[in-house]
Amino acid sequence: MTDAYEAYRQKARSWLQSIESEFGREARRGLTEEQDLALGRRYQSAKYAAGYAGINWPEDFGGQGLSHIEKVIFESEEMKFGVPSVYFGISLGMPVPILMRYGPDKEFARERVIKALKGEEIWCQLFSEPSGGTDLAGLRLKAEQDGNGWRLNGQKVWTSWAHYSDYGVIVARTDPTVEKHKGLTYFWVDMKAPGVTVRGIKLAGGDSHVNEVFFDNVRVEDNQRMSPVGGGFAVAITTLMIERYIATDSGGFGPHLDLFVDLAKEVEINGRPAIEDGRIRSAIARNYAMRAGLDSITARAMLMMQAGMEPGPEGSLNKLVAVRSRQKLSELAIDLQGNSGMAFEPHAFVKEDWSASWLNAPTGRIAGGSDETLLNTIAERILGLPQDHRPDKGVPFNQIPA
Amino acid sequence: MSILLDEGQQAIATESRRIIDARENKAKALDLIEASGEYDAAWWDMCREQGWTAVALPEEAGGLGLGLVELGQVAVAVGAGIAGAPFLTSSFGVADALNRHGDQQQKARWLGLLASGDKIGAVAFAEGQNPLPTKPSVTFSDGKLSGTKPAVSAGLHADIAVVLAFDGTKSVLVSVDLSGVERQRINSFDNSRGTADLVFDDSPAELLQADDARRAALEILARQAIITAHEQVGGAEKAMLIARDYANTRKAFGQLIGAFQAVKHRIAELYGLVEIARANALHAAANADGPDLIKNAAAARIAATDAYDTSARDSMQLHGGIGVTWETGLHLHQRRTRTLALEQGNLLFWEDVLVNELAGEKA
Ligand SMILES: Cc1cc2nc3c(=O)[nH]c(=O)nc-3n(C[C@H](O)[C@H](O)[C@H](O)COP(=O)(O)OP(=O)(O)OC[C@H]3O[C@@H](n4cnc5c(N)ncnc54)[C@H](O)[C@@H]3O)c2cc1C
Repeated sequence: MTDAYEAYRQKARSWLQSIESEFGREARRGLTEEQDLALGRRYQSAKYAAGYAGINWPEDFGGQGLSHIEKVIFESEEMKFGVPSVYFGISLGMPVPILMRYGPDKEFARERVIKALKGEEIWCQLFSEPSGGTDLAGLRLKAEQDGNGWRLNGQKVWTSWAHYSDYGVIVARTDPTVEKHKGLTYFWVDMKAPGVTVRGIKLAGGDSHVNEVFFDNVRVEDNQRMSPVGGGFAVAITTLMIERYIATDSGGFGPHLDLFVDLAKEVEINGRPAIEDGRIRSAIARNYAMRAGLDSITARAMLMMQAGMEPGPEGSLNKLVAVRSRQKLSELAIDLQGNSGMAFEPHAFVKEDWSASWLNAPTGRIAGGSDETLLNTIAERILGLPQDHRPDKGVPFNQIPA
Repeated sequence: MSILLDEGQQAIATESRRIIDARENKAKALDLIEASGEYDAAWWDMCREQGWTAVALPEEAGGLGLGLVELGQVAVAVGAGIAGAPFLTSSFGVADALNRHGDQQQKARWLGLLASGDKIGAVAFAEGQNPLPTKPSVTFSDGKLSGTKPAVSAGLHADIAVVLAFDGTKSVLVSVDLSGVERQRINSFDNSRGTADLVFDDSPAELLQADDARRAALEILARQAIITAHEQVGGAEKAMLIARDYANTRKAFGQLIGAFQAVKHRIAELYGLVEIARANALHAAANADGPDLIKNAAAARIAATDAYDTSARDSMQLHGGIGVTWETGLHLHQRRTRTLALEQGNLLFWEDVLVNELAGEKA
């Protein structure tokens, strides 16, 4: 049983090694984003051809029909190679699986899914709005009935990769006179439809993969609806929960701790190698213990899945714990370099470069659920502590003070 | 090696937890705090009856032939209930040392008695602030041990000690029958640990076989540290759950205090510390015979100490005034956090050991 998974890992690793020179981190150095995206599309197509796309998806949707375990195994190997897969992460992670499950027209869905797997089409997720992201059910973008279809008016924000996207999934308010989460409906939209405007937002790190998206009288047909009218909130929650266990990185998607140890051996404090300084030693030891714990939690979750069990809820700790600590370790790594730590290479990889890691760490604590949201989830769902006081509970949406 | 508990291991975990929960005796634990030199004899009888003294000892010595994973599960339960004495860990340490470094005669004489709990062991490596001195001040020559090992946990009650000593040229591991050895009881904030100075004065002792005695001592300490880490996890989890239950009962400003995020987020953070510590402890136990013993033990120890310290501290805070009373007994956890943090080497020690391993230096 376990041997079969080990064999799968070996096979995946040797395939990744075989394409590394074409798609790996070194091949990407110095590329513009457009070039990198084009490389990413070719990588995605190579992956499809080699049988590593849609690993746990049904075969009639172009997938491999394997289990979740093979998928996580592949992704944890893939992560080490620095391939250009970031453009497809959201697309294949949430909107496309939802289309597969809830898409009203199976033949259409099938065609989209396969094109998405090959990297030919990209999907985005249009949930968050200026009025609030954590409070998802508080969204305001309107969908109003128009003949046998709908008209969308309003604005989304923080939409990752919307500027490259062909399609998106969107939650809209169809009834403002009922409680906030009861008046929502879920659709898919064509991002090239008339009335859709995408405008990039430059992020703190200097790049801009998120966008504002404006909807000005955008027409959608009723067969683009993916939930009952007023039943959109449940599908939205399903979208967010679809991947219960994804490949994680106990380094918080920043540099490996070995790089910090190397740095601490190179630089000096008070004329002695920094690795001999107690403050640095303590930081290394604490980080190691934390990362090793998260790795063991992940390893245990994999074993549980292999044994046909549901992994424990402690898997939800990874992002919360790892990204915060990556942020602090990156600060320390910059400090260690003294004034020379101020030098900055804007195109450096986050997993290799402490400054890039540090500048981009704050987004990791917001995107995909803020620290505070994750703490609430742990407190309420795992520990059974009470919900927060919610003054808008039971109040029709249009009577909640703005 | 697997870090999923099998059915037998799970049974040990739930059964030991059930037994300890059923016999919890807070009044007794509170009394022991003020009684210097005593331990909870009924608690120790329970450990012996349950066979917990035998869990990780070899079958040929009357043990159950299980390992640190199983003993670790017992230790989690023991930690949750606040152990009445330190002997499960200290006797294991001595048995482990004899088993690996003793001759047939030494093993035959002691292992069975340690497995049954008829005799108690103490491990005496530390001196002063140093958990593992490079040149111990206690000396061994001509089969005799001299000098003082200060503040040895279980030292007051132990029948045998394994000692790290200096023979004039190098460190050595020796075992010593404590029947004729002077012990000076130490009054502690956590008195049931039987802490005492062991004063050797030409005390007869036997050499154990170890090429590199300090390395052997570090490995013995590491295996003990893995057990202690489990005990800390048990204590940390218990203190966290006590806080959770209180937050689900106590009201202020018209709602349960658990509905305030300052309270619920703090408890959620404790959950994170406990689970990371648990994962490290289990990983270390499951791989105790592997090449990364020291690294794994250090990570387990660091995470577990952090978890228990924080959990006990925050649990008291979240109780308000009732949390700082003698009766409520949360201070039992507070006191135990420090004892467990010091026994088997403090955080500073394990941080250094770990970084030496990671940076490719020798410990
Ligand atoms: C890089 C990046 C990519 C993103 N990609 C997408 C995307 O593709 N699609 C999409 O729909 N969204 C996306 N998001 C949006 C993301 O989901 C939201 O930013 C996030 O949910 C937080 O919402 P907000 O920004 O409106 O902050 P708010 O919800 O306004 O939160 C502000 C602060 O208040 C805190 N807060 C809010 N509610 C509570 C509460 N109940 N208890 C305690 N504290 C609370 C938050 O934790 C935060 O610290 C992305 C965000 C980023 C940064």
